[in-house]
Amino acid sequence: MNCRSEVLEVTVEARQVEEAMLALLHTILLHRSTGKFHYKKEGTYSIGTVGTQDIDCDFIDFSFVRVTSEELDRVIRKAVSEFKDALSNSGSDGVGQISLEFYQKKKSRWPFSDECIPWEVWSIKVNVVNLANEQERQICREKVGEKLGEKVINVVEVINRHEYLPKMPTQSEVDNVFDTSLKDVQPYLYKITYQITDSLGTSVSTTMRRLIKDTLAL
Amino acid sequence: MAHFDTEYQRLEASYSDSPPGEENLLMHVPEGSKSQWHHIENLDLFFQRVYNLHQKNGFTCMLLGEIFELVQLLFVVAFTVFLANCVDYDILFANKFVNHTDSSKVTLPDAILPMEVCSAHIRDNAFVIFVLIISGVFWLHRFVKLIYNVCCYWEIRSFYINALKMTMSELPYASWQEVQARIIEIQKEHQICIHKKELSELDIYHRILRFKNYMVAMVNKSLLPVRFSLPALGECVFYTRGLKYNFELIFFWGPGSLFENEWSLKPEYKRGGNRLELADRLASRILWIGVANLLLCPVILVWQILYAFFSYTEVIKREPGSLGARCWSLYGRCYLRHFNELDHELMSRLSKGYKAASKYMNCFLSPLLTVVAKNVAFFAGSLLAVLIALTIYDEDVLAVEHVLSSITLLGVCITVCRSFIPDKHMVFCPEQLLRVILAHIHYMPDHWQGNAHRYETRDQFSQLFQYKAVFILEELLSPVVTPIILIFCLRRKSLEIIDFFRNFTVEVVGVGDTCSFAQMDIRQHGHPAWMSAGKTEASIYQQAEDGKTELSLMHFAITNPHWQPPRETTHFISQLKERVHREAAGAPSDTHPLSLSESEPRSLVADLLTGPSTLAPVHFACDLSLTNNTAAGVNSGAAALRSLSPVSSSLNLRGSLSAAHRVGGLTGKTMTGSGTDARTVSSGSSAWEGQLTSLVLSEYASTEMSIHALYMHELHKQQARGEPSRHTWHRQESDESSDSIPDEVRSEPSARSRSFPRSHTFPAAAPSPSAIPSSASSSAAMDQEGAASQSSSGLRRHSGPVADHVGAGGKVVRTARVPMGGWAEDAKAASRHHDPLPEETSEDELPPHIHKVT
Repeated sequence: MNCRSEVLEVTVEARQVEEAMLALLHTILLHRSTGKFHYKKEGTYSIGTVGTQDIDCDFIDFSFVRVTSEELDRVIRKAVSEFKDALSNSGSDGVGQISLEFYQKKKSRWPFSDECIPWEVWSIKVNVVNLANEQERQICREKVGEKLGEKVINVVEVINRHEYLPKMPTQSEVDNVFDTSLKDVQPYLYKITYQITDSLGTSVSTTMRRLIKDTLAL
Repeated sequence: MAHFDTEYQRLEASYSDSPPGEENLLMHVPEGSKSQWHHIENLDLFFQRVYNLHQKNGFTCMLLGEIFELVQLLFVVAFTVFLANCVDYDILFANKFVNHTDSSKVTLPDAILPMEVCSAHIRDNAFVIFVLIISGVFWLHRFVKLIYNVCCYWEIRSFYINALKMTMSELPYASWQEVQARIIEIQKEHQICIHKKELSELDIYHRILRFKNYMVAMVNKSLLPVRFSLPALGECVFYTRGLKYNFELIFFWGPGSLFENEWSLKPEYKRGGNRLELADRLASRILWIGVANLLLCPVILVWQILYAFFSYTEVIKREPGSLGARCWSLYGRCYLRHFNELDHELMSRLSKGYKAASKYMNCFLSPLLTVVAKNVAFFAGSLLAVLIALTIYDEDVLAVEHVLSSITLLGVCITVCRSFIPDKHMVFCPEQLLRVILAHIHYMPDHWQGNAHRYETRDQFSQLFQYKAVFILEELLSPVVTPIILIFCLRRKSLEIIDFFRNFTVEVVGVGDTCSFAQMDIRQHGHPAWMSAGKTEASIYQQAEDGKTELSLMHFAITNPHWQPPRETTHFISQLKERVHREAAGAPSDTHPLSLSESEPRSLVADLLTGPSTLAPVHFACDLSLTNNTAAGVNSGAAALRSLSPVSSSLNLRGSLSAAHRVGGLTGKTMTGSGTDARTVSSGSSAWEGQLTSLVLSEYASTEMSIHALYMHELHKQQARGEPSRHTWHRQESDESSDSIPDEVRSEPSARSRSFPRSHTFPAAAPSPSAIPSSASSSAAMDQEGAASQSSSGLRRHSGPVADHVGAGGKVVRTARVPMGGWAEDAKAASRHHDPLPEETSEDELPPHIHKVT
């Protein structure tokens, strides 16, 4: 695939899942968001400001920075809690993966629908462990905090690399690159998906699509 | 109002987070996505399409071609059904009379059955309906495919026009290298691949040829079950398109295949942990696919016939008589293909070798058949002559029943017989033909050389170069045989396949998972017997056979001169190039290990550069050089190449830049070497490379590659012989060793055999220098070349450590070389074309569209 993919792996306790995920997703989104664009007539634009705030975690010794946007937070929280529920309902060994995918839309002509072309995918693999007693929990609390700190630095390192980002769009194309639905902040178009268990087989539908595509290809 | 202005202003909107006083803010200018070509999702498919569109000469050509194919299919099916069901043949054959009132003539409409009868016929015949349904599905499939392709390729077309700035009308005349250079150029601007700032040629090739490289590697490592030893037929190769399709289905894209998508292998196959389980799963999948094949057999058969019909009607139209001729088999194409070699490159290479290959195969006419054919032709000819004479005398003879058909039949019979009667002026010298073939096909098992005259070699070569009729027959048999091969042969190999994909897949940034052989890294996959000794770290399992890594690397470097390989690889390439050029130039380098054999590659170089049409002067020169050697001991090849100098000057006059430079350069070097002339020294071996446009270069690249291929085979052979004395063969060491050989040894007559194929010993199996001359081979060749052998015996000056052992066998084979190219007709041709092209095949053997993919 023509896109970068980064994998982060964390091992946490069940009650820490939500906060850990929020911490990582918000960290990434912090770097992948801009202020709102205000387009001028001459084809220029100015960028609004983005507020940031520190969030302290309850179950982990950790605080992270996120964009001050209730709306964005709500969306992320919803996705994460869905993931958490799915993870706890799965009943298996508690392995899951949540991925945050940044994509671009490409307008296509009539017979095809608009293509969403990812350019960066962050996959966070989660391993849920069960702990026996309070002391272990305390150790885990610190450990996970340290680990998350490392991950955050990881993320920043990756983002600091001088790599492909979609070009800044003109007013008409801004919807193809940025998520403009939020009032106070404007992240790159993103999608959060999750997957429970380690089943890596491709789904039937993708296989069928490929089969058809390949038969049609010259 | 102005004086009321303060810094305080009303907020424009409650949600706007931009502070007041926006005029002081930084203003940005959006770059916008001016082109839609940045960041393409599926680059594999994209590059493949770009390549296809180039190969099909642009959008309009492709579209028209496809539409006409559809129409043809419709026509053929309809016409066949009509002929089978709607014609009253009794009327046509005049077995039944029509009652006409107005005239006694039978008209065509009389023979056509009325509509109702016709449709009743069709409805009654279940087979016809079956065929009709399948062809209907086939046609619909093609139709949907056409629509889909039009949509996809329209986008590619606009990519060519807007991004690459090439119009469709100039596309057929642009080489792929040019297109590729432009793609690399626009990557900097558009970033079609987001992983890297710049694309390299290799990246593009990797993406286009990802799966083909795997297939080539699997054939190279003999992983695919395509060779069988059958009780009656001996060893044979069965590899058809149906089988190939199934292999690809299983490995690359079918449901549950090893690959997740076009660019990545499924992660579980990359881990060694559960290989047994994965092998089991693969085996059961192969079983299911095999069973499905078996069940669908009749459908596939009809499909195959339709498909074959369409692939071949086109070929037959283009070159009638090609049905009887031979073609490179599918297996041959896989075996001969380099890693990272695009279809058009392979095809042009193989087409160049075609003529020599068919000549070679024609050498082996059975004498028994010849005798029979001669006599049959005699009797048939007499009958035919009488019939024709009678017809000329009175044409009413034609009206007698069956006279016309017997004339036709006799004519056909004579034509067939004639193909079994060898040309009177042909000379049997397979060894040279095989060298010429090798110059184009680049790969050949070691044991062929020196055994070219044997029937076994011919049989093995025919696996690569089969009769087209056999090819079609195999295709038709394929629906039945394929499931058997899948179920009984491929299934057993499932563990090896799993291991192969795990061991030989590397993830390349910006490309995805590719076959590691295709990286052409001599350190990882080099074969010590193929010049990468000391550089390679590969185990036997990792080594590519037949020097594939090394030859592919050279081929890729030569076809893509702008490609910047990794440092070590660059070193290898430049070293080899330098050696080849030095060798070709024939400078009397005593320190060179290959001075032992230098006359051989050099004369081959001469052969290649001049082509068969100038063989006569070369032969002459060779003989001359031989006498020179005895007399003065000067560089033998100098004379041979001197004979080329008129060629080079004439080319210079014609302005054919590179060839002239090349030939001139070589000649010049030789001449300085022998101290006679220093005319064209200025054109150094690498100097011309930079000056040339890519197009000119790509045309001469093939010649250069041929030289390299021959040279590498030559070296390999020597090395295989030197093996017992020194396991790993180092260049520097052998420099010294060859130096240390006393001159008496060098002037041994048997020496030249060193550069020449030994007898039937297999170098791999028995690399001992005890190449006992096979009396059979020597006598056979002796008979042919008796006189020539006398003139050339005892004339070579150099020798090697093991040369003494080889004796007569080598000598004989060596003498077979003297006519060079070997065919009397070639010598005749030389007088016709006095102004030869540097590339032997450029005029006659290449079809005008060498970039076509079939």
